[in-house]
Amino acid sequence: MPSNTASSSSAAAAGSADSSSSRTKSKRPKYSKFTQQELPACKPILTPGWVILTFLVISVIFIPLGVVSLFASQDVVEIVDRYDNVCIPPPDRANKVAFIQGGADKSCTRTLVVPKRMKQPIYVYYQLENFYQNHRRYVKSRSDSQLRSVKDENQIDACKPEDDVNGRPIVPCGLIAWSLFNDTYALSKNNQTLNVNKRGIAWKSDREHKFGKNVFPKNFQTGNLTGGGRLDANKSLSEQEDLIVWMRTAALPTFRKLYGKIESDLEKGDTITVILKNNYNTYSFDGKKKLVLSTTSWLGGKNDFLGIAYLTVGGICFFLALVFTIMYLVKPRRLGDPTYLSWNRVPGGGR
Amino acid sequence: MDSRNSIDHHHHNDSISGVSSRWSLSSKDPPSEKSLSAIWDRSMLSMSQKEIKDEDARLVYINDAERTNERFDFTGNSIKTAKYSVFTFLPRNLFEQFHRVAYVYFLVIAVLNQLPQLAVFGRGASIMPLAFVLLVSAIKDAYEDFRRHRSDRVENNRLALVFEEGRFREKQWKYIRVGEVVKVVSNQTLPCDMVLLATSDPTGVVYVQTTNLDGESNLKTRYAKQETLQKAADLETFNGFIKCEKPNRNIYGGCELKNTEWALGVVVYAGGETKAMLNNSGAPSKRSRLETRMNLEIILLSLFLIALCTTAAATAAVWLRRHRDDLDTILFYRRKDYSERPGGKNHNYYGWGWEIFFTFFMAVIVYQIMIPISLYISMELVRIGQAYFMTRDDQMYDESSNSSFQCRALNINEDLGQIKYLFSDKTGTLTDNKMEFQSACIGGVDYSDWKSADSEHGGYSIEVDGNILKPKMRVRVDPELLELTKDGYATKEAKRANEFFLSLAACNTIVPIVTNTSDPNVKLVDYQGESPDEQALVYAAAAYGFLLIERTSGHIVINVRGEMQRYNVLGLHEFDSDRKRMSVILGCPDTVMDESYGDVIEETKKQLHAYSSDGLRTLVVGMRKLNDSEFEQWHSSFEAASTALIGRAGLLRKVAGNIETNLRIVGATAIEDKLQRGVPEAIESLRIAGIKVWVLTGDKQETAISIGFSSRLLTRNMRQIVINSNSLDSCRRSLEEANASIESNDESVALIIDGTSLIYVLDSDLEDVLFQVACKCSAILCCRVAPFQKAGIVALVKNRTSDMTLAIGDGANDVSMIQMADVGVGISGQEGRQAVMASDFAMGQFRFLVPLLLVHGHWNYQRMGYMILYNFYRNAVFVLILFWYVLFTCYTLTTAITEWSSVLYSVIYTSVPTIIIGILDKDLGRRTLLNHPQLYGVGQRGEGYSTTLFWYMMFDTIWQSAAIFFIPLFAYWGSTIDTSSLGDLWTIAAVVVVNLHLAMDIIRWNWITHAAIWGSIVAACICVIVIDVIPTLPGYWAIFEVTSTWMFWFCLLAIVVTSLLPRFAIKYLGEYYRPSDVRIAREAEKLGTFIEPQGTEIEMNQIGDPPRR
Repeated sequence: MPSNTASSSSAAAAGSADSSSSRTKSKRPKYSKFTQQELPACKPILTPGWVILTFLVISVIFIPLGVVSLFASQDVVEIVDRYDNVCIPPPDRANKVAFIQGGADKSCTRTLVVPKRMKQPIYVYYQLENFYQNHRRYVKSRSDSQLRSVKDENQIDACKPEDDVNGRPIVPCGLIAWSLFNDTYALSKNNQTLNVNKRGIAWKSDREHKFGKNVFPKNFQTGNLTGGGRLDANKSLSEQEDLIVWMRTAALPTFRKLYGKIESDLEKGDTITVILKNNYNTYSFDGKKKLVLSTTSWLGGKNDFLGIAYLTVGGICFFLALVFTIMYLVKPRRLGDPTYLSWNRVPGGGR
Repeated sequence: MDSRNSIDHHHHNDSISGVSSRWSLSSKDPPSEKSLSAIWDRSMLSMSQKEIKDEDARLVYINDAERTNERFDFTGNSIKTAKYSVFTFLPRNLFEQFHRVAYVYFLVIAVLNQLPQLAVFGRGASIMPLAFVLLVSAIKDAYEDFRRHRSDRVENNRLALVFEEGRFREKQWKYIRVGEVVKVVSNQTLPCDMVLLATSDPTGVVYVQTTNLDGESNLKTRYAKQETLQKAADLETFNGFIKCEKPNRNIYGGCELKNTEWALGVVVYAGGETKAMLNNSGAPSKRSRLETRMNLEIILLSLFLIALCTTAAATAAVWLRRHRDDLDTILFYRRKDYSERPGGKNHNYYGWGWEIFFTFFMAVIVYQIMIPISLYISMELVRIGQAYFMTRDDQMYDESSNSSFQCRALNINEDLGQIKYLFSDKTGTLTDNKMEFQSACIGGVDYSDWKSADSEHGGYSIEVDGNILKPKMRVRVDPELLELTKDGYATKEAKRANEFFLSLAACNTIVPIVTNTSDPNVKLVDYQGESPDEQALVYAAAAYGFLLIERTSGHIVINVRGEMQRYNVLGLHEFDSDRKRMSVILGCPDTVMDESYGDVIEETKKQLHAYSSDGLRTLVVGMRKLNDSEFEQWHSSFEAASTALIGRAGLLRKVAGNIETNLRIVGATAIEDKLQRGVPEAIESLRIAGIKVWVLTGDKQETAISIGFSSRLLTRNMRQIVINSNSLDSCRRSLEEANASIESNDESVALIIDGTSLIYVLDSDLEDVLFQVACKCSAILCCRVAPFQKAGIVALVKNRTSDMTLAIGDGANDVSMIQMADVGVGISGQEGRQAVMASDFAMGQFRFLVPLLLVHGHWNYQRMGYMILYNFYRNAVFVLILFWYVLFTCYTLTTAITEWSSVLYSVIYTSVPTIIIGILDKDLGRRTLLNHPQLYGVGQRGEGYSTTLFWYMMFDTIWQSAAIFFIPLFAYWGSTIDTSSLGDLWTIAAVVVVNLHLAMDIIRWNWITHAAIWGSIVAACICVIVIDVIPTLPGYWAIFEVTSTWMFWFCLLAIVVTSLLPRFAIKYLGEYYRPSDVRIAREAEKLGTFIEPQGTEIEMNQIGDPPRR
């Protein structure tokens, strides 16, 4: 009897404890550093020391980089010859567009003198100015799938107004291809032909993956208006490097495109004769055409801008480091001084 | 048995009744609106009333569901809280989502882009951002709805006993129909709203618990109609019909049956028409101050966007005009399409005017992210994150009520950081609302010698039928008084004491519940009731030997020191906040009453004053003997009033007013409403934080002031201005005097104003004067405030200032105030859940307000303010880069950056860090913020987000975008760079700069922050690479070509340093030479120069203050 009551009461107690614990399940949020937003953290503060050090480090890095960039730019030897105007016979200069569209001979001879020794490879570029290869109408007017694969040759929706000829698709279609640059240069040094290598001027990736090996030009430049250069219908697009280069539309209205490479050194004082065919019409929009022979440095072409920019930024940082140091020495503030707090500072307390 | 008989006998012979009445001088606010409390009597039986117009009524034929439903086809009882089904999800969810302006903007832009003339982006890219946000929201909604579906299913499949074909059968809830009779047994939940027909109790009483409805855990009584009570015995033949109102919010269901074996009811409202469902409105939707404030800058940005688009369109127009003759021959334009016929027609050229028009809209599409629509989505995610951390804060978890912090409104987290005015209810908010009987004054003599009280006296128990009965709660007793009561009716004093405690035990609405304990011989008497004051009084009476054992509608049984006494309850006037008293009319033995006492009014008054000065809540107890004619007169008018249909409450009040006169003072009680833990410290902190604290209480002035002192709302060196006026003129006079008297701002003044004066102030021109006065005071105490005035006071302040207001309360009477204030906080305490339901945030204790405002509010505000500015900056930088490029593309909207990158920029490249920072970054640690409440001023002064900061940010934006754009432009000018390569450089540069900019402003770097920032940059690079390995895109392989040149890396380095340099320098100069409080505190936190703990800090201020004056 006693054991019975004991067991029953204990069972009851257990039951009640059980039920009460389930009823009053604690909603206390589980403690973790994450939920209490107490994750270990680094709290950097802009102290004068750190700031001055940062500026010094920047200037120490930037000034040498600027110098190096400037040197690299200075190392580049560049011959630039603008020929768009001079290659039009003086009588035709009143109406250049008519001349360029006419059937007259467009040959023109230019003579360039090498100012400094140029080590190979020497790149031959044509430079166009005021030519908006990034014009919205223009950049959209291409079909990348058509360039890549024969079976997509009918994907010409984007190519208008240069999409098809009498219902047959143009390959490559679009304004970009249509306006292919077609001035040609024949270079000779001291009356000896200077070989300009036109292979390997386009990106390898473009040649191999973007322009199809079995895609051949079709109906190209057969429309009512011829824009620019023609293509050899027997060469696949992946071999048409001039086209590939041209189709990498330039980002800016003044741009160069690689024409070829001279794989021999040029000595200072060498005269280079260029016989060029001035076919390309940039006259209707005042576009300039230039022929450029240039070496390159590890940093690219001849452009002092980056060097100057680096030197300027480096200089400013050095100057700021200096100013901040002086300011710090003249008027230091004790960091974390509670007396600076607004309610401790303003007499009368509070706002 | 004997004693019961004798009392019955007494009743039959005596027609003399006693009124035992108490009216309070400082009553607590009514616990809840009584209007909520009745289905059983609110829905009327047609036999007796004809008030509802036929067209407005619903006819319910009892026990005849077919007939009930044939004409009207009432809603079934299956409930559906879920919004969607599988089929309706897509259309409905889309429909709901497009209610938001932001999404409509996205949609319009996407639609614009589908016009061939305007097609800037490809189809996929243009729909992507919209699809993304829609998808994210839809997933969120679908998950929430799934959870609702699940709970609906559980609810609908519960079982109830329904009378069908002559017996009760179990039926699933969802099949219950209006008109059916349902039997509910003890501890079952009512499946729907019902009219009570009969109960196990012969008098038709039923006790229900409404925890599910309003959270009140105490029992409420409902009565069955006498007519149905008899008829319901034979259900087979029972019929009749009920005519009742159309569903509205005043009728109950869903509560739980307690303490009653069974109850029969007829279903009147089912399913979606039940009160539970009708009341189930969502959390209030508010808009945060910061968001409203932000709209101004959004407008500025829109103007900026229009300016950019106009510039683009105008310059394009100028170019077209200048070259209008050459458009056909320009190689990169070629207007005419010659393929059709030699003359050619224009291709995609619609004339000069149209071109301008198209350019403009194309510009809008390209620059669309200038308006940071993604910001709204980010803000929502950030708020969810912030809410998560607020609810998870273990410093805001209340042990006693087992409740953690609740975020009910998700739109106003950052408002918590800008509060300037705090309106607090007193009872239950500042205090525990756990009433403790402190002292009694009987016959003008004070008995409050509870110091000598010990547990021996407190543990009163009696033995009834071999069982030991004990009150559940122990109350300290005054031994002298205890001795006195034991004398019975021997002396005058003893008699009075007995009457006093008898009144306390009788005059209330407490329901005693006898519960078992682990010891089978000991039973506990638990007093359940709506008012904690009543509980305290009844427990006190019990401790002195007046143990209330039973209460029904007709009688009460009180065990007086072991002797059972039964009294018939002839009438009861419930407590209301207008009369501020309640009374009960009992039939009792003739001999008890004696009118021959001396007058004790003066002494009692004195004692009352003393009690209330100690901050105690006082009640006066009085009695009166009714003679036959008085009783008859009262009885008839009471009967008439309680069966009246229109204005019943008013009539009853009038009847009560008539009978509650000429009472003889027996004594007075003093109850302590204990301050919650940490309230004084919390108020102190809030005051230092510059928050003006208004306490609104129904207590009388002395009580309020003493609570004011104990809660440190008032301090000894404060000048008190008391406004106690009885007329408009005197009120005006005293207010203007007060206004004139406080000229100097540094004087600390407290304003104490009572409810009567407020009647004249509110809704009159005096509001302005009061506001002016209140502005100069550091504490405001409104006493004897009626519930309806609370909202008026909040509105008074809210309408006159742009500062944020917060109201905090716990009871139904605070609901209006909570809803009126900018931020409403509910205390989930003793008084049900109405306040919580109406609130934006709910918590267990008043003191949690300190971490809520000073810590979370401060953080949320700082984070959100920064996040908004940063989002403006981030999107504007990108737009400006796109815009600069337009100047070099012949003013056409070419983008060097691929369309996918422009779309992903605000979705993937830069969004995660801002959200992470918005949730996690802390400018200062919790300890610092709590120790230095003044830091809260940052939010009050709006330093985290202002137009100045916006313009500062915008100039920085212009510089940074210029640096990002022009450095590569000049570096690559006249080079072979192609559009895609340069575009990739710009993309990566923008992403790096924008993320480093954020990195520069991050205050706390933990691993999550690191992952977000560096991860975003890596993710952006991966995306750019992925885009560039698609051979059919023009930019194929560009990223690899360009990154293999040194030029790229030199440009990138130059861009990053140049663009961030000015900001870095200015940030340093500002922080070092003109440091903000936050900055100094941050330094001190890091360097450990805050050595003083909180106590000394406050003391320093207090000591520091007086000498300055």
